[in-house]
Formats: sequence, C-alpha cells, structure tokens
Amino acid sequence: MNLDERILEIAREVFDMTEVSLELSQRNCDRWDSLRHLTFASEIEEAFDIELEPEEIAEMTDMHRVIAMVQSKL
Amino acid sequence: MTFVFRNHTVEPFLGYDGMTYSGYDDISEVPQDVDRYIWFYQVPVNADSTRLSQEIASYSDKLDYVLSQADANKPFIVFSLAVLMPLRITGDDGSVNEAVAAFNSHIRQLATAHRQVQWIDFEEFTARYSCDELINWKFYLMSQTLLSPKLARDFAAWWQHVEVELSMQRAKKCLVLDLDNTLWGGVLGEDGVDGITLGGDYPGKAYSWWQQALLHLSHNGVILAICSKNNESDVDEAWNNNPAMVLKREHFSAMRINWNDKASNIKEMADELNIGLDSMVFIDDNPAERELVKQLLPQVEVPDFPDKPYQLIPFFKSLVERYFRIYQVTDEDRAKTQQYRANALRRAEQSLFADLDAYLYSLEICLDITEADEHRVPRIAQMTQKTNQFNLTTRRYTATDVQQHIDDGWRVFCVNVSDRFGDSGITGAVFVAPIDDVTVNIDSLLLSCRILGKGIEDAFVKTVLNLLRLDGIRKVTAAYLPTAKNGQTAQFYDRLGMECVAVDDDGSKHYVLELNQVYEIKNCYNIRVL
Repeated sequence: MNLDERILEIAREVFDMTEVSLELSQRNCDRWDSLRHLTFASEIEEAFDIELEPEEIAEMTDMHRVIAMVQSKL
Repeated sequence: MTFVFRNHTVEPFLGYDGMTYSGYDDISEVPQDVDRYIWFYQVPVNADSTRLSQEIASYSDKLDYVLSQADANKPFIVFSLAVLMPLRITGDDGSVNEAVAAFNSHIRQLATAHRQVQWIDFEEFTARYSCDELINWKFYLMSQTLLSPKLARDFAAWWQHVEVELSMQRAKKCLVLDLDNTLWGGVLGEDGVDGITLGGDYPGKAYSWWQQALLHLSHNGVILAICSKNNESDVDEAWNNNPAMVLKREHFSAMRINWNDKASNIKEMADELNIGLDSMVFIDDNPAERELVKQLLPQVEVPDFPDKPYQLIPFFKSLVERYFRIYQVTDEDRAKTQQYRANALRRAEQSLFADLDAYLYSLEICLDITEADEHRVPRIAQMTQKTNQFNLTTRRYTATDVQQHIDDGWRVFCVNVSDRFGDSGITGAVFVAPIDDVTVNIDSLLLSCRILGKGIEDAFVKTVLNLLRLDGIRKVTAAYLPTAKNGQTAQFYDRLGMECVAVDDDGSKHYVLELNQVYEIKNCYNIRVL
C-alpha cells in the first residue's frame, strides 16, 4: 500500500464509510466533524509515527492537504 | 439508544452508533425515550485541589438527581472515577483522592439500592497505563478529550469485554486446583507435612496470599475443587497439622485426590457438582497435566501457571478479570458454595434407600412457589441469562425485561427449593403470558441444574398448571426450542401429557394442552404456594 492508500484506509475507518476518494473533504463529508477530525489526526500520528502540531491538524481539512502534510513530515 | 452523561469528550471511546451524549457536565435534560443510560464522568484537570475536590463532591448530588429523573426500568451504568493525573504538591491535603473515593463508594451503594444500576470499575482500565500514556495534552486542550484518543482501540476491546460481563454477570463457576507446587510449594509426599513451602517468609508468603485470595473467591460464590495426584491421607494430615494451611477440606465442594487421569476426574466432578465443563477453570503447575486437560476437555479453561511464586498475585488478578469478575453479587451467589457441597452429601446418601421416592421423601423437600416481585426479579433475570441445560426456550432477559413483562400482565412464577441439607434459593421460574381469558402461553420455563434429578421440575410445573386452572385458564400453549445444551428437556412437555401440534425444520416443537384435569403431585414434596 502506498501512502495515499494508507491514508484513505485510515479515513475510511475513522469516518466509518464503505468507500472514500481523494476528493473527500471536511466540507463534503458530514461525518468529518471536529471530533472525528481529531481521531483522524491521532490515527495518522500513530500510523506514520509522526507528531502533528495543533495548528497543522487544523489545516488538514481535505485529503490532498492531509497527504501533503504527512509527506512533509516523513 | 444509549444516553451518556459526561463531563469530557468520550465519543472516540464509546462510539457514535446508537449513542447520544449530554452536553459537558449538563444534567438539565434526562431523556426517557432511551434503552439505557451511562454515566461516564472523569476527574477534571485542575491544579487547585480544594476546588477540584468540591467539584468532584458535586458529582454525587448530580448523579442522584439524574437517577431520580431517569426511567427506573432502564439499565443505568455508572463508571467509577479514576485519578488520571495525580498532582502531589507540597502541603496537598489528599482531598482529591478522598473525594474520588467518596464518589466511588457512593456509586457502589447506588448499585446495591437500585436494581437498574450497575457500576464499572474504570480504574481497571486506567491502571494499565502511566499518566503520560493516559492523557495526551494536545488533544485534551484541543477537544476536551481527557483520555488519549490513541487508547481508543484498547478501550473498545476492554469495554466490549465489560459489556459481555455485564450481561452474563459471570462466566465461570468452578476453579479446579492441583495441590503440590500449586497451592503450596514442594511435594507433600516427598517433603512431608512440615516440609512444604507455605507461610512464613517468601516464598511461603506468596502461597499463603494465594490461598487467602482463593478463600475470598469462594466466599463470593466461586466453587473450589481439588484434582491432585497425592495420597489422600497425606493431604488430610497437612490440612489437620500444618498451621499455615488456609484452605482446608471444608472449603472444597468436590475432590479427586487419586492417581487417575485428571481429565476423567474433572469430568466426574462436573457431574457431581451438576455444572457444565465449560464453567470450569483448571489450575495446575504441571504443563503436561494442563495439556492433557486441554486436549481431552477443550471446554475447560486452562490458563498457564506462573513460574515464580511472586507472580501468584498478578496471576490471581488475571483469573478474576478473565473468569470471575462479579458486578452484582446476589445472596444466592454467596450461599452457592454451601449448596453445591450439600448436593454432594445428598448424592452420597442416595444409595441407602430402596427406591427413589423413598429417598426423595427422606430429603424433606420444600417447594415454595410464588409470583415474582421486585425483590425476586433480579435473581430470575440472572437465571434466564445463565441457565442452559433445563431451559425450554432459552430466552435471555434482563431484570428490566422481566419487570416489563410483569407490568404487561405476564405471571412469572418462581420456586424456592429447600430440603433438610440446606436452602437452594430461587432455582426455577416459569413465565406465563396471557393470550385471552382462558388461554396462556408458557414463554419460558427453566430450572437451575443444581436441583435437577429430584422430580422438582414436574412438581413445580404441575403446581403452576393447577393454579392456572383454578384461575379459569383452560388452554396452555408452549414450545421447546432446541439448543446445543437443552437436549434433556426435548421430551419434557410430552411427558407432561401435552400434545405436540407442530415440529419445525430446526427441531422446535409446539404444544397445546387442554387444561381439564387436576394434576396429581407425588407426596414426597412439601409444596407451599405463597
């Protein structure tokens, strides 16, 4: 699994959806609420063994930004 | 739907599906249209211990208020408080710990006083982690999530286990123990009564602690049994003459001290105690014996035994958590050990009589039959959860369900069985649901396996049918629903003279009885209808 796929898989689990695409964002997904947003961030920290700052977590509002953020940390 | 009262974010732990959450520390609304309530407060993070302890003290009052407003027929689960971040500032008066202890003691009292309340020991979960693991300050300050979201998976696994325990009350009934190098150090046959390691300093101290702990388990209703390869006379001598011995003959409800294979011994004891093999846990230091029992009796739980005596304490803790955790102890539970031992005595007498009736007559069996009231409902619900063998339909009910049925007009009869050896408590129940003025359906019929083998099931059901007839009932319907365990009841209604009118593909049998005769009951029972 490449990085994109791993992040999509985490999103699928956290947001409890059958399918997710790279176009998923906080705006087009009602399950991506503020609480699950933090669970998502926490799961990504665990999966990639990285530390995200609160300001960074706040910016991760769609899949493209999430992927870019994770890449910048690796 | 479950409604959760909380003062922090707990959604990542309890989940979203079927859950509704109160506002933070908001008790202004207590909804009635729910399946159950959960109270999951956590100790807030506050460096000012005086204010913090006052706040914690207020939780008891809030909980009391919520409980007074909540639907008393719905289960109400309360998490105990655990101190997640102990701050020991110089001059601290310990008031926070005291306030937490006071709240936890309060909820235990609530669980005793209110049948719908059950409490969860939250510290059982938090004790596995250090303060830094428990709280992630970043997420706490961003989202009011006190418990680190990284523990969500661990929490889910623990919570699932707790929920099963809550519904089952307890999984296992009997602990079968080896003796040498298990209850004490050393081998009795070689080291002698005074040569075994027990009492005094370590390592004897570890075995003393272990025996004390097992004794406490037996006081809480767990049956202790022995399966050991020894000379029984050596063991008797140790019981009588070793002053450090805590567990003695009278604490064990069944014993096999012989040189037969342990699997056969355990099977015999299961029959003697009238319990299933799947309710037994076998403890032995010898891996070969453990393997034999695992191979031949896969239903028996066989945990590994610790290598070092000092590991007996965590080992005991894990036994309790895995097999014997008790959230609601009933008086019947406490008396159970006594009853199982009395059963074994009864069986010893069985051979002295010419026929079974003469034996039954000599037992002076008393059946007190009564309709369930609120004091008996918890025990009846517990029986529907635990009874597998003599259970015609195996429908599982919570105390709330039973009460609801009674409120809906069902008649739930129960029987308290005693004889000259002791009181078995409430050990049978029949649920009668009205159909019309002259017709009823037997929804459930179950008896504890402790009292089987004495015709009590016959006398109980016939008495109930006679009572129904007196009340104008003329027709009774009933069913037998087969499970892996209730085969012994497949013919029960046939023997009673009911007509089997349909058999389903799965083996379920449906019966009708025209209630036009008074059932005669053997005179070897003393029956009282209260």
